[in-house]
Order: sequence, then structure tokens, then C-alpha cells
Amino acid sequence: MSFLAPLFAVGLAALAIPILVHLVHKERKETTLFPSLMFLLRTPYQHSRRQRIRDWLLFATRVMVFMLLVAAFARPVFDRPPDAVVAGTTGGREVVVLLDRSFSMHVGDRWSRAQAAARQALDGLGPADRGTLVLFADQARAVREAGGTRSELRATVDSASPGDAATRYAPALILARRTVAESELPKREVIVISDFQRSGWDVGEEARLPAGTTVTPVDVASSGVEDRAVRAVELRRSLADGRERITVTARVSNTGPAARGIEARLEVAGRTVATNRLDLGADAGGVVTFESLAIPESPQQAAIRITPDGVPGDDALHFILERAPSIPVLVVEGAAPGERDVYLQRALEIGDRPSFDVATRRFSQLGVADLAGKRLVIMNNSPWPQGDLGKRLETFVRGGGGLLVIAGDAVTATSWPARGNGVLPVVPGDVRDRVSNKGAVLGVIDRSHPALSLFGSAQSGDLSAARFYRYRAFDSDSGVLARFDDGAVALLEQRTGTGRTVIVASSFDGLWNDLPRQPVFLPFVHQLAQYASGYRAGRSVYEVGDAVDLQGVGPAVGDSTGARGLAYVAVSPLGSRLRIGGTLGDPALIPAEAGVYEVRPAGSPGARPRLVAVNIPGRELDLARFDPTRLTHSVSQTSDEPTENGGGVAADLAERERKQSVWWYLLVIAGTLLVVESVLAHRLSRGRATAT
Amino acid sequence: MSDSARAIAEAKSHEGVPGRRLLDPKVLARIDDLELVARFVVEGFISGLHRSPHLGFSTDFAEHRQYMPGDDTRHMDWRVYARTDRLYIKNYEADTNANFIAILDVSASMGFGTSGLTKLEYAKYLAACLAYFSSRQRDRVGLVTVDSDVVDFVPPSAKHLNQVLHALDRAQPRGRGALAMPLLKVSESQHRRSILLILSDLYEPADKVRDALGPLRDAGHDLVVMHLLDPAELNFNFDSAGTFEDLESGERIPVVPGRLRTRYTELIRDHVAAVGKLLGEGNIDYLMVDTSKPVDDVLFQYLLRRERMQSVR
Repeated sequence: MSFLAPLFAVGLAALAIPILVHLVHKERKETTLFPSLMFLLRTPYQHSRRQRIRDWLLFATRVMVFMLLVAAFARPVFDRPPDAVVAGTTGGREVVVLLDRSFSMHVGDRWSRAQAAARQALDGLGPADRGTLVLFADQARAVREAGGTRSELRATVDSASPGDAATRYAPALILARRTVAESELPKREVIVISDFQRSGWDVGEEARLPAGTTVTPVDVASSGVEDRAVRAVELRRSLADGRERITVTARVSNTGPAARGIEARLEVAGRTVATNRLDLGADAGGVVTFESLAIPESPQQAAIRITPDGVPGDDALHFILERAPSIPVLVVEGAAPGERDVYLQRALEIGDRPSFDVATRRFSQLGVADLAGKRLVIMNNSPWPQGDLGKRLETFVRGGGGLLVIAGDAVTATSWPARGNGVLPVVPGDVRDRVSNKGAVLGVIDRSHPALSLFGSAQSGDLSAARFYRYRAFDSDSGVLARFDDGAVALLEQRTGTGRTVIVASSFDGLWNDLPRQPVFLPFVHQLAQYASGYRAGRSVYEVGDAVDLQGVGPAVGDSTGARGLAYVAVSPLGSRLRIGGTLGDPALIPAEAGVYEVRPAGSPGARPRLVAVNIPGRELDLARFDPTRLTHSVSQTSDEPTENGGGVAADLAERERKQSVWWYLLVIAGTLLVVESVLAHRLSRGRATAT
Repeated sequence: MSDSARAIAEAKSHEGVPGRRLLDPKVLARIDDLELVARFVVEGFISGLHRSPHLGFSTDFAEHRQYMPGDDTRHMDWRVYARTDRLYIKNYEADTNANFIAILDVSASMGFGTSGLTKLEYAKYLAACLAYFSSRQRDRVGLVTVDSDVVDFVPPSAKHLNQVLHALDRAQPRGRGALAMPLLKVSESQHRRSILLILSDLYEPADKVRDALGPLRDAGHDLVVMHLLDPAELNFNFDSAGTFEDLESGERIPVVPGRLRTRYTELIRDHVAAVGKLLGEGNIDYLMVDTSKPVDDVLFQYLLRRERMQSVR
């Protein structure tokens, strides 16, 4: 065994500390400073002498801790096994070729030059050398030499092509680091073939290569790049004659000389519906706006395409044309006069992302058919329906529907028997009257809860401004989202099956409180309705490499099947079928191609697909570069010894020490012993204190 | 990254963690700029409450403007919508003016602390936060530091926030504390009715505390007393027997905490109860503050109580 830092052995002198502590420990004379002795009584001070080592176990623990710490700082290294030494002396290189196949490699002749450089590097490998090819963009994949033949590596280089993903250097460099670190060959080399795009720089400490590794950058970027790209699309919605229309505006960038009369086409479902032209200055951008068009009933794939250039992949930007999301809501009114529901009705009329498609029924007129297609039922101070209708409502909630209960005078223990078939977490209690002391305010609000997180930041809505003169008592400790200033529950939730019930302990009619007259009422109602209905803002446009949220692809709300564990089938823009989820599929859909993916639940080939538009990552379209030597400096390890001959003795020792990391285990043991020491010392101390 | 920046980042990271929203005194202790602490606490939490009627905070309606797509619906005046069927956004501006004076006990006993902050540091944070809060609402802010006499004085003014913060920053624990004389001087110098926040550990008999506050109360000031106590003072959770030294008098006595703990905690609780009772009878707002509790938790409790009292304006 050797030590990387043997000078730390002088730290063994510290062993004197526990010996001194245990032998020479004197009676305590330290003074405790205390603010005032006003309340303290005088008491005799008990003390004792210690002149010999007591507590041998504690003493031994402390000695061991010091020894382990000294050994850890000295960085012990076990000697290398003989077979490894033999392998190291036979020569040979471990060569890792990192080949960039990100989207920017489409530009000019970058890819052909990169392939040529990779072939040259592989051809330069000698018989004692070993090669590994790593293809990388935002992820990295290694192809290792097998059976002493490099034909597979060459074939991989020949068949590879640039993809649509962005550049990231870290995954490739980490893969290279693992490969060379595990190698027993004495010489290590990493060759990076890339256009060294600045946006792909994510190199950190974890990508640092082992000492002695040679890094060779091969820059294949060419000057004089010309590329036009559709960078962004803005959709502006409006209402005309009761129909929702949309105006599409696209932003186009131009790298290179000025270009005039560039054609821009708006395509919907593969058909060109509008064409426009724009002029672009040198290294500048432009905006093109199309005539507004009616939004189709069902979601349709759409794209903006411009005149193709030398880099065709970024000449189109895909998106989905679809109506603004809407939540179908059924409001059940109690037997109260109609004007009492005006606040709730008005609040639900406002808002477009999402909007609320509201149907209102008096409790006496409520029927089973009213629940069809709804995602949320608001029981606005209404009793619980009896019989079959009550059971259907319970099934609706258990199956994923939302229930928002506004508890006014009609929500009582008798009008909600059996807690509304179990959808209420507690039995409604008595009405509390706070008129005499100017009403209650909300004292505790869980702003970290998703339903109320909107109000969590400064100036985001003053829920405590509302005065509550009457409210209904709910006795519950779990699921409480807000309480009044006397501790009574103000807002309560319960999950029933896959659905949610949210209860507001006071009415929305403006009589029991002034909440409906506060500005915060509008967002408060919207937040509760969205949360109770399980609404989540959907996203239909992604970039290559993003993980796609598959919410919304699956059984309709109200079905008994849960969405968890469902398998999906995605069809890529080039026609590949991908299986997502379930036991055999990939855990998530991470698109690798730009275009429109069609996603369906597995086993439902006839189902209407969910369309997911995928585009080239915006940062990849920024072709600015960095100096390749920056990469070399960032990933190379400095070493005490020259590394031309595969590293000197010190470098070799340091590398072996790094691999073995014995110090780490020693520190863990020392840490564990310190815990033991603390427990022992505490127990002994307490024992003495009790004895005194 | 500086210690302050790191501490702020850490405090912010706590905001998203359920149960850790309130600001840890140990984190705040690492932020060395009082104004930064005050701004951070007030902007991050108290202003989320939107108003504090008893510290002069009120919002006055400024104007309506038409709703534009993308405007936050939280600012929509939907009462106008109910009348006119048109969507308008309401703009507000704040407009208040009152005197707010923090009276900070800087006697040596306030230099005690076992939970990351001394009581004086904790009191400084509270005073800075409430001064910042008041100044933000255009109130006039001032400061008096006291031990057995007036040590430092910043007269209340709408432009004195920085002076207050600097004076707070300068304050060091010193001397023996006795509230009667300095509070009498304050009552003689302040003729305009003010909100007076007294931050002290109140190591005086309860009736003496009441008597010391009498002149201020009689002058019509709105008094708020925050009684700051460290957890070690409340629970006396010392383990080892040893000599205990009074920070103010320097007197020393031998103490075996295990034997004394029960009696001591009874006495301190009785003292807190007596002070609270006597001040309550005198219509003085009293709040016992455990300095291990998050600062904004204390502020929240305080503001909630003030709102209930409805006694100033």
C-alpha cells in the first residue's frame, strides 16, 4: 500500500488530544452567560475530579476516529495487481472518437468532412490500439470495437447522418471519460469531431477526462454560412360572428447575405391555405403575418414553410391549430332565488384559457343526462340528490370528475346524508355567525397547494381582504387548504377515486360574505374550478429532445380506467412506430425528428390521434461557435508529471487513487464512529448529570 | 457567490417546500445587510398579504383602463363588468401617512442568543422589516434605541428609512436595561400620536413594565410591545452544571440546571402571563416572540392581531 499524501501522517500526533481529554480533564469552571439571573435560584455546584482514563470505549472510539481521519487525508492507494501492470507495459492506445451528428452538421459540407475525419482517425489505429466511436447530439451512443475488427466502427460512420437534435457536449464527454477511465491501456486519446457550436456548451467538472488523456479537436465548421429559418410562430385568437378565428404571425431569421421575395406558406393539414412574401436583410430577421382563418373543429397539424435553402430542416416550423381549451361545467343551483347565483355565473363567463362551458340546472330539474360530457359539477348551495341520480354523481366523481361544493344554508347534515355517498370528507356542521365581530377573515392559506399557488407571490391577490359573516363548520384535519382566523375550515378537498371534491365553507351569493365583491373572487373561482376538474394547461408544440406530456391521450374523463400505466403508440413524422409506456415501451416519448407525431392509446388504431408538433430546438439554429481549444482546456486534467509517455509515476498513482477512492470509505467509517461517539458521550454525560 | 446571495437563494428555495415557507432566522442571520433582509422578507411575504390596515397600508383606487387580452384577471374590476358588461382593469396607488417609531432595547441581556441569532439581532430584523414596511406605505419611520437611557434617536420622517436601518445596524448590546427613564423621554419628545413598537426582553417586574409604558399610553400613542425571549430562556435546556453570569450586572451564581429547570420555567411563564395581562388591561398590544420562530411568522401573527384590533384608524 502507498500513500498519495504521506505528510498527513504527522496528523497522528493529534492522538494526544483524546488522551489528554481523558486523562487531564479538569473540573468545570467555564461560565455560562445568561441574560438575567432574575429567575434563577442559587444552588450548590457539584463537581468531581478525573485523574485516570475512564470510559475506555469512548476513548477507543475517539482514537479510532483520529486515526481514520489521518489515513483518509493521506490518501491510501492499494498496489496495482500484477496482471494490470503487465497490460500497461505492452503499449497501445485507447482512442475514443466523438462524432457530432446534431442538426447544425447539415450546414454546408460539415457532415462529409466530419465523416472523413472520423474514418481517418479509425484508420490510424494500430494493432495494439482499441477504438470506440461515440455518436452524439443531445444524447450520446457508443459503438465499441469488438473482436479486434474495426469494420463495425467504419460501417457506423458510413451509415450515420445528422439528426434534428441539438448539440450537447457533456453526455459524449462523460461517455468518453468512462471509457478511458476503465481502460488498462497506457495511452488515452479523445478526438472530438464537431462544428463546436456555442449553444451546445454544457461542459462541467463531471466531463473532465482522466489525467494523461490527450484531447484532439477536429473543427469541421466552414465559414460563409447561409441559412434561413422559421424561428417562431405567434397565434392571436379573436372572435368574429361567434366563431373563433386565429391570426398566424411567423418570425424568420436570415444568416448570410440579404434575400428578397422569400415565399412563406401557411399549411393546414398538408394544404397551403395562405402565401405571403417577405424581404430579409443581411444577418437579420423578418416577420410575416397571414390573414386570419377559422379554427377547425378538430385539432389540425399546421406549418409555416419558407423557400428551401441549403439547410432544409429549419425551413418549416410546425404547430397545431386547435380551439382554446374549455372545461364543461354543470352548475346545480339550490332552491334559492335566481339572482343569488349571478356572481358565480358571471365569473365563469370570463376567461379564455381555459374557458368554461357552463350549463345551469335547478336542483329540482336535475337529471342523469345533465352529467353527460361534464368535467366539473358545481353544487352551488344545493342538497345532495337522492336515489339513482346521487349514485351517478358519486360514480362521476370516482371516475375522475370534479365536484365543487359551495356550502351555504342548504348544505346540511340532513341534506347531505352519508356525506353525499362518500364524496364529502366530513358531515356538514352548524352555521357559525361572525356578524357581531365584523366578520372573519382567512387566517391560514396554503399557498403552496396547486389550487391556491396562483396567490402565492406578492401582489397576486388578497384573499384575506374578504369578510366572512357566516360559514358552515367542517370538522376535519386533513385536506384543509384554508382556515378562518378562528381556526375553522374554510376550504377543504378530498380525492374520491380519481376525482376530486373541493368544499368552500361559505356561500358565493354575497350574503354570507363579501368575497364575490372582492377582485380576488374571479381568479379564486377560476382556480378552484380548474383544480377540481383536474384541468392542466396542455401543450402541443415541443422541441426535439423534449419529453412529451401525454396527458389527454387516453380514456375520456368518467371512464373507470385510470390513465396510469397506459401504453401509447406514437407514429413519427417519418413513419416509425414507437411504443410508449406499459411494460415493453419506452418510459416517455422523447421525439427525435422534427414534424408532427400522432399519438394514440395502444390497441386503439381507430382512435382520433393526439397531434404533437415537434421542431428543431431554437438554440440549435444559433450557429455561433466557440474556440475548440476552450474545450481542450476544460476537459484536460493537469498533472504534476509530464504525460507524454502515458503519465508519470505520480500521475499513475493519482489515477489509481482516484479509481480506488479508499479515502472515501475511511471517511464514512470515521463519520459513523463520530455518531457512535456522540451517542456514547451523551449517554455518559446524562448518566453523570443524573448522578449529581 | 457571496454569503448573502447564497443565503437568499437558500431562503427562496425554502419557499417552494411545504412547511418551510417561513423564513428561518439562521438563514436570515447570514444576510449581512439589514435593508436586504427587510426588503426580502417584506416583499416576499408581507406584501403578499396586500394590506395591513393598522400600519397605515391602504390602496387607493387610481384609474380604470380597458382590459386587454393577456391582462391578469386578478386585477379585473368585475363589479364594473357586472354593471356595464365591459371588462376593465383596476389600477391602484398607495397613499398613507402615519408615524411609526421602533423603540429597541439594546441592554446587554439582548445580546443573548442560542438559536442562530441573538435577541437583539432578531429584534433588529423585526424593526427593520416593519420600518421598511411602513416606509413603503409612505409612513414616517423613526427609531429610539434604549438601555437605561436613550442611546440613539432617529426622528420619524418619510425620508429616514436609511437612517433607521443604519442606526439599527450600529446598535450593539450594552449596559443595564431599565425602560422607565427612556420611555418617559420618548413620551416628552413625541407629541404627534404615533405607532410605537417596543422590542425588549422585559427583564423587569411586570408592574414596572406597565408603569414605564404608562406615559406613552396616556399620551395617546398606539403601543405594541414585542417581548423577545430565546428558547433557552423559555425552556432552560442547559445540560451541564456550571457558573451562570448575568449579562447586565456581571453577577455570578453556581447553577445545576436539572434541579432548577422546572421552577425556572414556571417563573418565566408566570412573568410572561403577568406582563401580557397587565398590558392587555392597559389596551397595549402585547406579543411574546420566541426568537427561534421564523421572522415572517411573527410578522404574520402580529399583522393578523392588529387587523382584528381595528384600533388605530
